[in-house]
Amino acid sequence: MGNMSPAVSPHQSNETFVDVVLRFASRNARLLAPLLTLITMFTFFSFTTEVFLTKRNLQNVVTQVSPIAVAAVGVTFVLLCAEIDLSIASISTFTGVLAAYFWVGDTIDLGAWGILVAALVAAGLGLVNGFFIAYVGIPSFMMTLAMLTIASGLAVYVTKGRPIFQVPDILRTVGSAGNLFLGIPVIGIVAASALLIGHIILAYTRFGRQVYMTGGNREAAQMSGIDTRRVLMLVMMIAGFSAGITGMLFIGRLASANPSAGTNVLIDTIAAVVLGGTSLFGGEGGMLNTLMGLLIFAVLSNGLNLLPNLSIYFKEALTGIILLAALLLNVLALRLENVQRRTE
Amino acid sequence: MITRDTESAPASGEVLRQTANAQPVLAVYDVTKRFGGATALSGVDFELLPGEIHGLVGENGAGKSTLVKILSGVQRPDQGEVRMHGDIVRFRSPADAMSHGIGMIFQELSMMPALTVAENVFLGRQPTNRFGLVDWKTINAEAARQMAEFGINIDVTDRLGHLSLGNQQLVEITRVINSGADIIILDEPTSAISVPEAQRLFELMRELKARGKTLIFISHFLEDVLEISDRVTVLKNSRKVATLPASELSKPKLIELMIGKDATDLTDSYQHAIRLPPESESLPMLTVDGLTAKGEFQDISFTVHQGEILGLFGYLGAGMTEVARALFGTVRTQSGTIVLGGEAIRPKSPSNAKRLGIAYLTENRRATLFPKQEIYKNVTLAHLDHLVKPVFRHPSEVRITETLIERTGVRPRNAVMRAGHLSGGNQQKVVLAKWLTKQPKLLILNEPTRGMDVGAKREVLDLVKELRAEGVSILLLSTEPETILAESDRILVMCKGKITKEFVNQEVSKEDLLLYA
Repeated sequence: MGNMSPAVSPHQSNETFVDVVLRFASRNARLLAPLLTLITMFTFFSFTTEVFLTKRNLQNVVTQVSPIAVAAVGVTFVLLCAEIDLSIASISTFTGVLAAYFWVGDTIDLGAWGILVAALVAAGLGLVNGFFIAYVGIPSFMMTLAMLTIASGLAVYVTKGRPIFQVPDILRTVGSAGNLFLGIPVIGIVAASALLIGHIILAYTRFGRQVYMTGGNREAAQMSGIDTRRVLMLVMMIAGFSAGITGMLFIGRLASANPSAGTNVLIDTIAAVVLGGTSLFGGEGGMLNTLMGLLIFAVLSNGLNLLPNLSIYFKEALTGIILLAALLLNVLALRLENVQRRTE
Repeated sequence: MITRDTESAPASGEVLRQTANAQPVLAVYDVTKRFGGATALSGVDFELLPGEIHGLVGENGAGKSTLVKILSGVQRPDQGEVRMHGDIVRFRSPADAMSHGIGMIFQELSMMPALTVAENVFLGRQPTNRFGLVDWKTINAEAARQMAEFGINIDVTDRLGHLSLGNQQLVEITRVINSGADIIILDEPTSAISVPEAQRLFELMRELKARGKTLIFISHFLEDVLEISDRVTVLKNSRKVATLPASELSKPKLIELMIGKDATDLTDSYQHAIRLPPESESLPMLTVDGLTAKGEFQDISFTVHQGEILGLFGYLGAGMTEVARALFGTVRTQSGTIVLGGEAIRPKSPSNAKRLGIAYLTENRRATLFPKQEIYKNVTLAHLDHLVKPVFRHPSEVRITETLIERTGVRPRNAVMRAGHLSGGNQQKVVLAKWLTKQPKLLILNEPTRGMDVGAKREVLDLVKELRAEGVSILLLSTEPETILAESDRILVMCKGKITKEFVNQEVSKEDLLLYA
């Protein structure tokens, strides 16, 4: 795929197979380190638990991770630009609540069209984030912190703090765990499509290239004639929109919209993206990394539940420890990459 | 005491004299410093007499910076000795030199813009009261007293960052004095400040001299050096040419000493005058009229014809870079007009300027290169929309890039290599290739060959001439007179934000350029 550098490029030919492998590994360390983590975990849980490697459980893994996978697509764009979005969880909750609110139609009845309106609202909130960050100059951390409060406040306002127990049929159909297409949960197909679209945009479009360059060296991007502020604003809009889709998938899966739900979405999503190897400092990483990070995250939380002798009360702490170990592996791999680079 | 003249026969034949018989407060004898294969200083003697202002001049690379770095403890000499009041000293660090009373004011000020003036003056040495807390009263009162004593009128409770660069410099000097410096080295202090600010700086320097401090003043602005200095030392090609009283010097005389007339230098610099052709008769591509950006440059007017290289010469701080940035949309102008290809334009941003057909190669490579990205991504960035379809495939990009880096001579010619792996000269060629993906109307080159070896320099300059032949208008900015003389069809000289001279259809030498800079 687009993110891999070819291992064999014009170089002297008297090198051994090991050299070639080493160079390939060091060049793609950012992708290979999380892949190694994923394979290790997958193998571990396959051998230590009986349930993990069953079709039913793997479907479960996919269903669990799919909603945040969509938000992670947006977060990947944001991190590649060396910015942060803390408002994704609130926007996601608000959007879900809004779609349900329009569906119930006590005050405004839009039926299934409410889904579209809610998605546009999500994109709009992201656009507001982007405008203030790119054109007014508020740091993204502060701006999205404010948006976090605004969006979750709006969710409470719309519902008067009460959950809505009716959600659009189409969302319920998409979100329900039992709804399979060729043995794959439909919600997983939605998430995979989002990741694929994100990958195509990042790896194969002008805009995607501009995102990388804006994050990699903003001054240089500007001096190359890239409208970095526009790029930044659009990226924040993408993040808002994808958070909105996540919110819809959540209400579909739970068959209810709760204004106080979804607080874990923020941490889980950012953790998954970073775990995949996308740099918090911009310009490096991509959708393949995010896919990797999401799978690590999903396999880990699912697998730990299945371990027979693990105290349920220790699970959360252990999750954190394993995530830390995975991050260490990423850092070490990148250091190896840099050493190798210097000797090239 | 002997000032040894390291040049066997100085062009001037000047007899060297000492102005005073006092023992030098600081001196180096027979100092040599090498960096790798290159010699930065070779057998240099330098004596600083108590209470003098000593000017230090020379071309870029003559060894001025290396000399003051040795004097201020940043670097240690490979050979030779440093003496203070006659005793040999070895500075281990800048802090060590500071403790001997030597303070250095660098071009880039080393202070904290978010702290107040008083806090900066007492940086790292805040007095405390009996509770062990910082004694703000004393800090503010003391700082105010010292500033007033030097005739500096600045509110010491104001944030440093609110002050103009010139005022910040005065604060930094106060700080250096406050921490006990008797010898103050000022490296190009006037290059970034306005003329009235420079006058204020000179007043302070005279005031310090009257109080018995000794100052070293490094500057490209020879008038400034002559105005303020008691004696001037000239360096050339890492050797000392002479130390002379300023009263016996003039600007042309200094230039002669700096450039020299001896035959050995002919190979690497332009001693002889070159003949500029008559003004091009092709249509003007760019006409700038009365362009002014407050505090940066005033009333700049010039024309660049189609297929012409207009050289713009001046020193750092002359305002050339700002003019280029105004054309590229990153410096705001208050008045004046820009006409490009017959159309009045107002570049608002680089993306806007790019669309208008202007390409700008900045002097700062960090601001142009994406070291962690592959070469082809660096090259195709500026004109992706012209090169590839909205949803593109990499192979076509790589092919385009290979053609371009072949043309600019990037080695190795490997488009999928990361740009950061290339040498500096090759990185510059990559940046140049970026702007050739679509032929610009106007190509602005700011120090295009700085830091390149001779071969790479030649390749880049040949390419520039090739572009000229294709009708591209080129504005070439450089602080190196050699580059300007070798490449330009016409030459403008800028000094302190103004165009001071135009050379066209006439003989011009390096001396002529320096005279107006």
